Amino acid sequence: MLSEISHLNKDELLLEVKDLKKYFAIRRGTIKKTSGTVKAVDGVNLFVKKGETLGLVGESGCGKTTTGRTIIRLLEPTGGEILFNDPTQGWIDLAKMDRKQMFTVRSNMQIIFQDPFSSLDPRMTVERIISEPLVINKIAKGEELHDTITELMRTVGMRPEFRSRYPHAFSGGQRQRIGIARALALNPKLIICDEPVSALDVSIQAQVLNLLEDLQRDLNLTYIFVAHDLSVVEHISDRVAVMYVGRLVEVADTEALYYSPKHPYTEALMAAVPKPDPRKRDRPIKLPGEVASPANPPSGCYFHPRCRYAKDICSSEAPPLIEVEPLHYSACHFASELKLRGVMG
Amino acid sequence: MTNETSGSVRESTVSIFPDEDIILKVRNLHTYFFTDIGIARALNGVNFDIPRGKVMGMVGESGCGKSVTALSILRMVTKPGKIVRGEITLYRQDRQNKSIIDEIDLTKLEAMGPEMRSLRGAEMSMIFQEPMTSLNPSYTIGDQIMEGIILHQKVDKVEAEKRAIAILDGVGMANPQLVVKRYPHELSGGMRQRAMISLALSCNPSILFADEPTTALDVTTEAQILDLMRGLQSRINMTIVFITHNLGVVAQMCDYVTVMYLGRVVEQATIDDIFYNPKHPYTSSLLRSIPHVGSSQKERLQPIRGVVPDPYSKINGCPFHPRCDQAIPGTCDVNVPGLTNVGVSHTVRCFLHSDAVEDSYA
Repeated sequence: MLSEISHLNKDELLLEVKDLKKYFAIRRGTIKKTSGTVKAVDGVNLFVKKGETLGLVGESGCGKTTTGRTIIRLLEPTGGEILFNDPTQGWIDLAKMDRKQMFTVRSNMQIIFQDPFSSLDPRMTVERIISEPLVINKIAKGEELHDTITELMRTVGMRPEFRSRYPHAFSGGQRQRIGIARALALNPKLIICDEPVSALDVSIQAQVLNLLEDLQRDLNLTYIFVAHDLSVVEHISDRVAVMYVGRLVEVADTEALYYSPKHPYTEALMAAVPKPDPRKRDRPIKLPGEVASPANPPSGCYFHPRCRYAKDICSSEAPPLIEVEPLHYSACHFASELKLRGVMG
Repeated sequence: MTNETSGSVRESTVSIFPDEDIILKVRNLHTYFFTDIGIARALNGVNFDIPRGKVMGMVGESGCGKSVTALSILRMVTKPGKIVRGEITLYRQDRQNKSIIDEIDLTKLEAMGPEMRSLRGAEMSMIFQEPMTSLNPSYTIGDQIMEGIILHQKVDKVEAEKRAIAILDGVGMANPQLVVKRYPHELSGGMRQRAMISLALSCNPSILFADEPTTALDVTTEAQILDLMRGLQSRINMTIVFITHNLGVVAQMCDYVTVMYLGRVVEQATIDDIFYNPKHPYTSSLLRSIPHVGSSQKERLQPIRGVVPDPYSKINGCPFHPRCDQAIPGTCDVNVPGLTNVGVSHTVRCFLHSDAVEDSYA
């Protein structure tokens, strides 16, 4: 278990998630009878250090977005603990908090959404969008509010004169800056970045990624960076967690994960990334079949039907996430035996 | 929309391929959209050649005209869009003895006329980005593939279904006999894109336009589809125009690359030259702005400053000069550079490399 983090000082951590579960009921028919469960997040264990960026990657439907949203309780967890190192209250379990208690700690955690078009209210001006969290939390009003917004807009690289414009007047990159300013308004400690650049053009992606890096350095922010683009994740993350069908299969420092992966799924992902270098053309590892359905996952290790190293044990026993090397965790029965190739092959 | 000749005459001499290797030539192509708020100049004099039997990548940011170029060639630009001038010449080859049988200027044909309809789907075909919205939800996969086969190859339904199953099998679809009876919503994203590819390949086109065919897919599915397309291309020697903004995909797939910016071609070269010897500042800035997977040191990304201007506005001089770090005051903001040869199979449109001026910018 990740929770036995003996060699890590607890004070260095901001968040520790233990056995987090989020199930969705599948309801059918007129009386909406439950006919099954989708185990979107199925026993996730992870920790996040203060000031770091943890990348969370995986293919669509693997539960990475659900994990991010459940951590800040935008979705109610089905089970597990979400331990948060609150600057005033110390370690608290977010999963056990009621609405009122949650209100007091929520200002420490914010989210930046993927789609800068649907995540901003088209009928609100930029000023109102950014001021909303400040007003709700009764942090500023009047002159002070006006100044705070000027400051926030400058921080994200927008001209404060644009405060009375509506979102439609801005390009995708500018809108994402508005979303970032809104997230920063309450001085959060933790920001969940849910695919913040995947809707943007390549040159604009670079602008927003650089902004996120600058803000992290200046404001000492901690990011959970949810994305499917492995080159973006490599660029921004200190550590990376790989998810497959609701479970973590590997967690490690970015370099260790990309260059010496310890899980066959990570190996296949790394081989599949198209490298922007015509002199390095390689063939991907063939993954037979499709990603398993979280409503009806296979037995044992969820990846075994597609794994080229699978043996008998893989179909009967689910491998736990264990530490194979210092701070390098893998959920594979053969993690320490397999010689897997990383991103450079 | 006047001044039809001057720029285009010189440019028609600029080609990076010998004439016999060219399957399609685009010259001075202008496609405008006449909207209520003004004229959007989507294509502003596009010039390039497509080499036969190769994969050519078309790259650029959204709104640069990549997709409109493909749609213009296929004559699928609909109102309020219109090709206002330019030539698109298709060199048709005899399938057996490989000699060129005719040259057709596609802009002269009626978009929905019989000649164009006999070419579209049979000689030229297209794969769209979003397989869910480009397949018809109310017809089975089989019906949609068979439609083209019955129309172009004049066979009956039984034979057409046999061919449809064979094509689906050829693109690596599991259980093709069952898939022909399925509707698009019953398939996963990767399977839908395979169905879309089957549809495009059903009549053995000589040119395939693939418009962001893997952008909506996951990375492992993307790798499978790219592998499939590469295999098909080398097996049947098809010409592929691969439209994408993902430079990784370009590096893995293409032989040549055409870089577009704001409705014009700014550079065309071999894949190796584009990545290792880019000449246009826009090409090199694009390459610097992306994170390179596998580059262990964490370099800061160098974004291109500013944004792509909207196509309604008119920019004097080189359209890239407001965002260019190497712009020469008094030159780049006044004249439009012409497309010039700068090496073997390498053309660029930039005053840093040539003094050639284009004056057809209406």
